Amino acid sequence: MRRTRNPFIRAGIYLALSLVAAYSIFPFLWTSLQSIKTVRDANSRTPLWFFEVTWENYSTLWLESTPENLTTLSLTLLVIIGAVVTAMVFAERLPIPRWVVYWMGMAVFAFILWQIPRIVDTAEFYDYFLNTVIVTVGTLIVSITIGCLAGYALARYGGIAGAIILIAALAFRALPRLAFIFPYLWIGQVTGLINTHLLLIVTLVAINQPFTIWMLRSFFRDVPRELEESAMVDGASRLTAFRKVVVPIVWPGIISTSLFTLLLAYNEFLLPRVLTQTNWTLPVAISQFAGGEDPAHITLAAAGAVSITLPIIFVIIFFQRQLVRGLAAGAVKG
Amino acid sequence: MQRKTFYGFSAPSLVMMAALMAFPLIMSIWLGMNFMTFRNIQNPEFIWFRNFGEVLTDVQFWQSMRFTLIYMAVTIPIQLGLGFAIALLLDQVTRLRGLFMAALLLPFIVVPVVGAMLFRSMFDPSGIITWFFRDILDQKFYFTEGSIKAVIIIHALWYITPFVVVVLFAGLQSLPSDQIEAAEVDGAKWYQSIRYVVIPHLRSLFLFISLMLIMDAYRVFDSVFILTGNNPIFKADTVQVYNFEVGLQVQRLGKANAMAVLTVIGVLIVLIPFLIITYRNQIAERE
Repeated sequence: MRRTRNPFIRAGIYLALSLVAAYSIFPFLWTSLQSIKTVRDANSRTPLWFFEVTWENYSTLWLESTPENLTTLSLTLLVIIGAVVTAMVFAERLPIPRWVVYWMGMAVFAFILWQIPRIVDTAEFYDYFLNTVIVTVGTLIVSITIGCLAGYALARYGGIAGAIILIAALAFRALPRLAFIFPYLWIGQVTGLINTHLLLIVTLVAINQPFTIWMLRSFFRDVPRELEESAMVDGASRLTAFRKVVVPIVWPGIISTSLFTLLLAYNEFLLPRVLTQTNWTLPVAISQFAGGEDPAHITLAAAGAVSITLPIIFVIIFFQRQLVRGLAAGAVKG
Repeated sequence: MQRKTFYGFSAPSLVMMAALMAFPLIMSIWLGMNFMTFRNIQNPEFIWFRNFGEVLTDVQFWQSMRFTLIYMAVTIPIQLGLGFAIALLLDQVTRLRGLFMAALLLPFIVVPVVGAMLFRSMFDPSGIITWFFRDILDQKFYFTEGSIKAVIIIHALWYITPFVVVVLFAGLQSLPSDQIEAAEVDGAKWYQSIRYVVIPHLRSLFLFISLMLIMDAYRVFDSVFILTGNNPIFKADTVQVYNFEVGLQVQRLGKANAMAVLTVIGVLIVLIPFLIITYRNQIAERE
């Protein structure tokens, strides 16, 4: 559409968009404020905009007992994470190969996550956080690996079977979760796998597979066949050509799909709610605060909500373009 | 690609979907034919189709189905209209566009449980809406059957409309500018350009979005579950929430499975025409 030049209309457009944006983020702002209030201030009958800031809610949520040198510890942690993230962002300019930097960064993160409970006395919320990380990362790796293979095959194969599989996947994607989850619950009860990370990962991969293969297929279809065919003429096998030629070209698409897989696994509530009893993930853990009339829970719930949302805000800041591209690709090509 | 290579590549994914989607679906029919609670889960009692009959005569099931259909009928048109309007506005600006987009994306991709909790906390005794009703409007806000349904619908508009905005905005970027210019040369007003150029261009996107919204609204769970606080006096259950309650709170696993099977049949009836269209497109696309 052509842009209007009338200054009044333009001002009106900005005003309208600002209102929409404010409406979108207002609940988040309010909850962030609630999370740094004392229980008494948070329960005030008139909303307080000026109050004494306290970080106690966060330490109660994450820690069983507060160590004296908490500030030093958290600053050290922040510096290490900052250094690793910076190294990963500017990996191309470092003298070592990129993949070495990425793997080392991941190793450092894993080591930190594993070491924290040994340094400070963490509360249950940290265990739920660890569960979420394990389940999300496990789902991401398995789902994207098998999804890439299938998405590529579906993009290249012309047989009827390919079309039938795609239609079946589309139908699966539309079905209500509970139709799968009750049988999973039965399988879990009978095999004793209930409450394990393995069951959660496997079922999450299966439930997200239809979406993953549709999206990845749409990215693989854009790659001209000639590229991998010429590699195969030069003697590479189909798998080698796929790995060395096709995947690097589709990498941005794979990143977009990975983001959505990550969000789907991280956001999932119903599946872990039914399939775990104690090994909760974060959405299940925080839902325990919901609907509680207990005034002391308000600030804890707010601190928990902010803690869970921070990684999402991180994703929006750094991967906004990939998110929008993924949504558009799913729509325009799917 | 050879058939053998095709199956080689897609085998892991196909095995996964067959074992954990197709098989459970068939199994849920069998589970639905058993009288089963958590106590006799190892040796359930086979009772044929009695569970299915019980679901179909269950007043609460039909009540939840009715609210689900109302929810769909109210939210989807508003989401489409509002989303289209915001996408058009977003298309008009360049400055601050990233910021607006980020603000819109936040409710859409945040953990749905958390989004619903934030919404709900505004209605707590210390919440900002409660305060607004008491101190500004001078009346008390109550959760009633009507008001909880209104809150559920407003929340749905809050977190799903951004999806419509982002997809339609992406579609607007591929709008050929010569068509708009031609329409303007012919003296078309802005609303006429939208009606005769923009909307036809976005038609397939509107169809796609509607399908997604229908699918997701039919199986809405997280937000309603949290917003109603799972409180039985609020008769605002959707089908999925009621199904969950029957399975895990009443612990009638057999009946819950039967209900899940019936909801699957319900959505498949709506979906079949669309599946046929997609199948034809896929066949036509093959070289």
